[in-house]
Amino acid sequence: MNKEKIEKLLFIVPTCLFLLTISIFPFLYSVYLSLFQAKLTKMHKKFFIGWENYQIILFEDDIFPTAIKNTFMIAFSSITIEIILGFIMAKIFFEIRHLKISNVLRTVTIMPIMLTPLCVGLVFLYILNPTLGIFSYILETFFGIEPFAYLGQPIPAKISIIAINSWQWTPFMMILLLAGLMTVPNEQYEAAKIDGANWFHVMTKIEIPSILSFVLLGIVLRLIECIRLFDIIYVTTRGGPGIATEVMAYFTYRTEFRSFQVGTGSASAVIILIISLIVTTIAVMLLRRVEKNEDFS
Amino acid sequence: MFFGAFKNQNAMFALPPVWIPDFTYIKNFTIMLSESYRYLLNSIIVTIGSTIVSLVFSLPTAFGLTFFKFKGSNFLADWILSTRMLPPVAAAIPLFMLFKYLNLLDSLFALIIVYTAFNIPFAVWVSASFFKRIPYDLIEASRIEGASWFQIFIQIAIPLSKGGIATVAIFVFIFSWNELLIALFFTVSESRTFPIFISAQVSQAQIIWGNVAAATVIQSIPPILLTIFLQKNIVSGLTLGAVKN
Repeated sequence: MNKEKIEKLLFIVPTCLFLLTISIFPFLYSVYLSLFQAKLTKMHKKFFIGWENYQIILFEDDIFPTAIKNTFMIAFSSITIEIILGFIMAKIFFEIRHLKISNVLRTVTIMPIMLTPLCVGLVFLYILNPTLGIFSYILETFFGIEPFAYLGQPIPAKISIIAINSWQWTPFMMILLLAGLMTVPNEQYEAAKIDGANWFHVMTKIEIPSILSFVLLGIVLRLIECIRLFDIIYVTTRGGPGIATEVMAYFTYRTEFRSFQVGTGSASAVIILIISLIVTTIAVMLLRRVEKNEDFS
Repeated sequence: MFFGAFKNQNAMFALPPVWIPDFTYIKNFTIMLSESYRYLLNSIIVTIGSTIVSLVFSLPTAFGLTFFKFKGSNFLADWILSTRMLPPVAAAIPLFMLFKYLNLLDSLFALIIVYTAFNIPFAVWVSASFFKRIPYDLIEASRIEGASWFQIFIQIAIPLSKGGIATVAIFVFIFSWNELLIALFFTVSESRTFPIFISAQVSQAQIIWGNVAAATVIQSIPPILLTIFLQKNIVSGLTLGAVKN
């Protein structure tokens, strides 16, 4: 019996220890560092200042509050676009699911999710380039709009980031909602047909209720991704112009690694961490629920 | 971008755009590769390394969480999952200092370790969702016949979940291949990965788009090819095993 216990422990304990040292310890250490004034280049000279770093980034400076606002604005807009477009695409794929070509089409459609975000950013940097990009060529020849630096103006830059983000992640919502639509029992569709329900009724009374938990799961998983949004910003706007597209992860990177302000950087890291923990708790609950429902079906 | 990779600097700027380039023009690729093969090699080593190490850690744990019934197993599973959701940027500086202290900064080893840590939660959850499909009777029968858990793991669980394990491996591979943030913190010169090399091309005063396009194409080949192999299991992977097909 004892031997079996040791054997069982060997399956699980190494991974937990590994996660504790490489994953949990660093996060706790960030909390510790956030209470110090410290420079990355002179770490031996750090001194304790308590909550002052939080005071600085949250109340005395407006860059980090803007970064929080931008992060959620980008998250909210992209996720809304992704749900609407994703639902339309899921419906299309649902209708053509019996066709042979639908598998091939689906694989092509989900490609963007797996592409390196850095490369996605680069492709759009090229497309949006005012002198050689296709976007300004189309705008100029077909709509007569003079090209300008789209990423150099606050509002077009924000729209561009949202567009890039949704372009990459709409397929994710699509595939999730498609999985949701597949769970709708066929009888319900037939019953609706007999009752003479139109497409709007089918959508609001049958489809949306049954995919609701999938939508929620998608929102939460995407929110977690959006909180870490970094690569696309890094390669396209670098938070600019000014701080128009500054987001939380990029702010932290810049403060810690460009200005070497480890203390204030860690404070912002901890705030991101707290926001993530809240979203994560909801995510874990939802994942468990969706998994359970799936087991029944 | 794909077409741009085959254009010379003049064709790149031509208006109206040259839609179909001359595919025999591969100078962009040869220039790129001669400058960057070292970083490409780094990326390949780190990616394959962290994929293997992740699986070595995760598969036994996923097996344990699925088949050992013990107090708190659900809680442990949730805890492992929640570490996946934590933002890497919040761990970057402490890890940077840890590896500096160990004198392992700017090494491929450090990158493999960190990528593994960030991939384990994902790998554990998704493989567990595949292990759950194994009929429990099969496990019980082997236990009665006297097989050890380790034997069951190697001889029954792994062969029966080959497809699922391949899915997990592909996802972990792509995640590591695509990673940028941690590499920015950790790599100075020797261990720079391919994404770091590409992003350095863009921060130069004048971007040579032909080269950047070629690098982008090279960087995109593995994700594109591997996605084709994922096929139906992609939903499971993207939702951490919560949704089955």
